[in-house]
Amino acid sequence: MAEFDTKLPVSGEKNHVFEACHHVVKALRASDNNLDANLRKLLSDLESHLLTFGIADTKVEDAGFSEIKERFKEAVKIIRSWETNHSTILEAGLSEVNQFFQALYDVQSVLVGFKALPIKTNQKEKDVYNQATVALDIAMLRLEKELRDVLHQHKQHVQPEYLAVSSRRKDIVYDESFVSLDDEVVVEASSHEDDQQISDFSNSDLVDPSVIPHIKAIANVMFACEYDQAFCEAFISVQREALDEYMVTLEMERFSFVDVLKMEWEDLNGAMRKWTRVIKIITQVYLASEKQLCGQILGDFESISTACLIEISKDTVLSLLNFGEAVVLRSRKPEMLERFLSMYEVSAEILVDVDNLFPDETGSFLRIAFHDLSKKLADHTTATFLKFKDAIASDESARPFHGGGIHHLTRYVMNYLKLLPEYTDTLNSLLQNIHVDDSIPEKTGEDVLPSTFSPMARHLRSIVTTLESSLERKAQLYADEALKSIFLMNNFRYMVQKVKGSELRHLFGDEWIRKHIASYQRNVTNYERSSWSSILALLTEKNDSVRTLRERCKLFSLAFDDVYKNQTHWSVPDPELRDDLHISTSVKVVQSYRGFLGRNAVRIGEKHIRYTCEDIENMLLDLFECSPSPRSLLSSRRR
Amino acid sequence: MRPAQDNQGSFLGRISIRRNQFVDVNNEQEQEDLELFQKHIADRFTELLSPPQPPPSDETNTVASVAATEQIMSVTWLRKLMDVFLCCEAEFKAILLMGRDPTQISKPPFDRLVPEMLDRSIKALDICTAVVNGIDSVRHYQRLAEIAVTALEQRPLGDGNVRRAKRALANLVVALSLEDKENVSGGGGGGGGGNKTTERSWSFGRRSGGSSAASKGGATIGQLKSSSWAVGRNWSAAKQIHAMTANLTPPRGNEAAGLPQPMFIMSTVMVFVMWVLTAAVPCQERSGLANHLPVPPKHLNWAQSLIGIHEKIGDEWKKKEKKGSAGLMEEMTRMEKLGHSLMEFADGFHYPAEKDAAESAAAQVAEMAEICRRMEEELVPLQQQIREVFHRIVRSRAEILEVLEQAGKVSAPVV
Repeated sequence: MAEFDTKLPVSGEKNHVFEACHHVVKALRASDNNLDANLRKLLSDLESHLLTFGIADTKVEDAGFSEIKERFKEAVKIIRSWETNHSTILEAGLSEVNQFFQALYDVQSVLVGFKALPIKTNQKEKDVYNQATVALDIAMLRLEKELRDVLHQHKQHVQPEYLAVSSRRKDIVYDESFVSLDDEVVVEASSHEDDQQISDFSNSDLVDPSVIPHIKAIANVMFACEYDQAFCEAFISVQREALDEYMVTLEMERFSFVDVLKMEWEDLNGAMRKWTRVIKIITQVYLASEKQLCGQILGDFESISTACLIEISKDTVLSLLNFGEAVVLRSRKPEMLERFLSMYEVSAEILVDVDNLFPDETGSFLRIAFHDLSKKLADHTTATFLKFKDAIASDESARPFHGGGIHHLTRYVMNYLKLLPEYTDTLNSLLQNIHVDDSIPEKTGEDVLPSTFSPMARHLRSIVTTLESSLERKAQLYADEALKSIFLMNNFRYMVQKVKGSELRHLFGDEWIRKHIASYQRNVTNYERSSWSSILALLTEKNDSVRTLRERCKLFSLAFDDVYKNQTHWSVPDPELRDDLHISTSVKVVQSYRGFLGRNAVRIGEKHIRYTCEDIENMLLDLFECSPSPRSLLSSRRR
Repeated sequence: MRPAQDNQGSFLGRISIRRNQFVDVNNEQEQEDLELFQKHIADRFTELLSPPQPPPSDETNTVASVAATEQIMSVTWLRKLMDVFLCCEAEFKAILLMGRDPTQISKPPFDRLVPEMLDRSIKALDICTAVVNGIDSVRHYQRLAEIAVTALEQRPLGDGNVRRAKRALANLVVALSLEDKENVSGGGGGGGGGNKTTERSWSFGRRSGGSSAASKGGATIGQLKSSSWAVGRNWSAAKQIHAMTANLTPPRGNEAAGLPQPMFIMSTVMVFVMWVLTAAVPCQERSGLANHLPVPPKHLNWAQSLIGIHEKIGDEWKKKEKKGSAGLMEEMTRMEKLGHSLMEFADGFHYPAEKDAAESAAAQVAEMAEICRRMEEELVPLQQQIREVFHRIVRSRAEILEVLEQAGKVSAPVV
């Protein structure tokens, strides 16, 4: 079937060749009357063929014509037999296919032959011509149907099971108060896990390769018979529908701009996530395969192949681009940063593929639209990133944070930052030319990793500096110096732990970590001083009278009660830090108390001593446990 | 055509100079600016209302078709309309933003007017998307017409050629007279065994509920159309236009003298332009479109020509809406007429062709070919212009939001 295209005459341009053949035949006949029967038959066949191209001698016309008419009648019969047959010709087998194409060739021969010599023709021939136009049209319509049916029946899909958007991951949920991003949320966040899968099934065939030659043959015939428009219309509409269907499989809904701007963050987040995957699959896999298919079928007509690809993909591609355009219209909320980063990342990544898909002038509007969108996403992502810092800076509290524990702002910011190393390259390129004040201005001996001085690292440190300032302001709200220290200690410790325990450590660098450990240790010292110094001073007696000693002991107990009452509501969530704090406090307080009692217990008298050393030791363990209601001193620990 | 671009350049220059010179006492100058803006609007729409008239001539004459290029609703005219919109928009933005103290447009009544305007612009974006999509449908009609032209240009014209042409014409005529919501079953069966999927509109009929009915060619146009979702499910152009006109009332009292006035004018122009576009080409769900555009008060000078155009198109729409129409684009209207007349020719055709009938058909075929040629030349540029309008609207919105943000008044997102 594939050789059909070579058989078709190219619209009567080779007349001189036929003429030459005709002369050869004539000369042969004239030169020898003793030609054998086989040769005679051959010559007669050749003549009748030549006749169909309109160059035959009029003497033999009648004989030749009746033969052509017979063959034509047979061809029409074959074509007609397929007119109402609903199964594909392909299914009927190769010989049927060849027969159909042969019949079509015979019909086309009549048309071409007639057109080359229309004036000489008589009524009978005119009728044959007219019938041939009808037969051709029937055949073409039949081939159009064949094309649609074969494309449908042999359609292959990129397996959707790879494509299900992972729903395991949780997302940043944003609210104005930064409350939502908690530690456990971030554990599973990782958006690059699916990349491998995408590259695994790139270059899949959209149509079973075994039917490609058949489709190509249909294309060649329809183009040769000037039914190219019909071919393209049918091809485009089937392939477009297949793409639409595929988009439905991917569950990629179309949204209007109004929809996108109104959408709840949760829904939008899901849609953005989906978009990121879908646009990649569509450009890198699906349309790449579509282009390959167009090339296989219409490779001989390159500009048409390109135009078909554009027509097939335009609608879907524009709707995907529109979603990106719409998302960029949303205000720049910090919670959107990660989604924007991944959208931008993908948009930049696929530019190469887009350039390959639509390389020439006809596709330039799509190509440009992709580049524009990528640029917009870059700007929007950068702006969102920078705005994150502003949001932190402007987070003000009216009241001190309860218990001096880890502020939700700290949690939010640190967990947020932890998501970012995944986008290191992207962020570095986006932030490259944006200056920022950095807490580590120059390379030091300890930090040799270039990553520590990358644009992204500088910006992250700057964000944390902003966080620190905000925490300092929040700390000022505490009336109690000791609680202020606990608060700062807790938050700085949290920051350090988050940095040390993640990829962030390469970005923040050892020096930053060291400085911040020192910073929270300073707060531990501050706490001990402001909380215990004055109390422990009560235990340093200087030849006091019994009365004074009893007074000291009483005052200590009262002060201790006071500390106990307060600090059991305080919070030190980090168990290690809490233990350290318990131990160091215990060492100081219990030792001093034990010394005091050892020296003075007898003189003070047991009934004047409220707490034993063990009491104190045990009660100290209750500190920083963040108990919800004031502990009753006597019921909990008292014998 | 008047070089609007030049006007705009000098205009912008003057505004910025004045604003710089008269920071506070610019009332008089601002008044003058506003008047100039209104005058430009009036001039531009007057030119659109009365394009160069085609010389009176016979309908089948191809000369007439060439002269008709500038007629209202022709593709060329629509492209001019897009230019006009872009000029008006640029001038308006200059008035709104250039040299202005940002806090001025964040105070009442602008805290209400500006968000309303931005809201309208978002809706306009959806309309742009739908219209670009609709133009794709028109390009599909163009291809059907081209097939008919190719077939009818064959010489000698045989029954097979006519058969082919008839099939294309039947599809064309049906597609052109289809209202979006219409549920036409078995549409255009006149194709003589034609495959029905060829009849489906190019960009409508996205999905048909996963059934293979549509793909097998068994679906009706109605089914295909009802499942269209070029913009988004349940999106309706008519509703969108209607929503854009909400709150769109002429400013009264002292507001009428100040900035609210150009804001009202620009919004009116925007809604009007979007309305014209949705009427011109196939667009998702347009029932009652003619009723959705409130006409600005007649006494306003700048509005006269706009109202004139509105009335012309509105009348035409009401006429067409009854019998169904894919759009009022002038070329489509003529294509439909020619399509019907060529169908008649095809129906009465007997081989060999009768000389007189063949000649008159040939003239119509030539006219059809001419329309196709013009569409081929202008539809894609029109689409590009609409994309440009789209991007302009996006950019302006961003600029306005930025100014508002500077003013520090936007705490809640303006959507």
